[in-house]
Amino acid sequence: MIVNGEARPFTPGLTLWGLLRDLGTEPARVAVAVNDDFYPGARVPDRELKEGDVIEIVRIIGGG
Amino acid sequence: MRGDPFELGGRTFASRLMTGTGKFTDYGVMREALAASGSQIVTVAIRRVELKAPGHGGLLDVLDWDRLQLLPNTAGCRTAAEAVRVARLARAATGTKWIKLEVIPDARYLLPDPVGTLAAAQELAADGFTVLPYVQPDAVLARALEGVGCAAVMPLASPIGSGKGLRTPDLLKTVLDGAAVPVVVDAGLGVPSDAAQALELGAGAVLVNTAIAEARDPVGMGHAFALGVQAGRAAFLAGRMGVREHASPSSPPGGVPRLPDPEVPV
Repeated sequence: MIVNGEARPFTPGLTLWGLLRDLGTEPARVAVAVNDDFYPGARVPDRELKEGDVIEIVRIIGGG
Repeated sequence: MRGDPFELGGRTFASRLMTGTGKFTDYGVMREALAASGSQIVTVAIRRVELKAPGHGGLLDVLDWDRLQLLPNTAGCRTAAEAVRVARLARAATGTKWIKLEVIPDARYLLPDPVGTLAAAQELAADGFTVLPYVQPDAVLARALEGVGCAAVMPLASPIGSGKGLRTPDLLKTVLDGAAVPVVVDAGLGVPSDAAQALELGAGAVLVNTAIAEARDPVGMGHAFALGVQAGRAAFLAGRMGVREHASPSSPPGGVPRLPDPEVPV
């Protein structure tokens, strides 16, 4: 699967919560997309991930 | 200005200056500069969390979003599809439906793609977003963006971050002429007189980032831009004088006391 543009080995049974925990990402103040599903960080469901899923984890930074 | 609110996206604002949060040296200076600017609409960018160094504190925590309208942008997106995706991530990350739509394939001048911008605007407006598209000052495109439901159009003054000021005031006038939504001049403003010029021509508001963030004194410049915008708006409401080809004396031409001068026939 692809996480923030980088290939990552897929582990059967891995869930979105498990991935965020493994990455050390604090869900509050981020947003997550799994393919075309978009979730506020605070309301990320614990969905099971599939091989080939494309995941984006983003946050707000300074910009114009 | 009292009694002259700025209406945008169903909300009412006292300030006609929007400010970006990029390029500031630290959050303290940024917060003070934003306060000095009086801005009530503040732009931010959406970026991937760095997976190798997670856990950064957030811009969301240092500003009072109960008082400010958050305006995420799609900066960095090169296509309509990328911009639509980033807009949806921005909505998920912030809870706001406002989006400053940027579709910019060209890195050198950061000029927007009108075709991709219109396509993305149509999709996002249909999805319930309050869409504020960054565009060239093009009246035909502006009408098309209004037609698909954009809440404003944001023509550039000159390239992003260039500080060159309003380079095509005549084109901006064509966008302003008959505009059904607010016109917000975005990008390229360098000094408060640039902002004043945009407001004098009838722009509803301006968006400034680099000119404040890269000033020697960003707090002072935030204040200066607030004044520039107020002056420009006041002038627009007051109505400028006509422009003449030749001089027109302000004092009455007759009755001037003259010294006797034998060489000048009376």
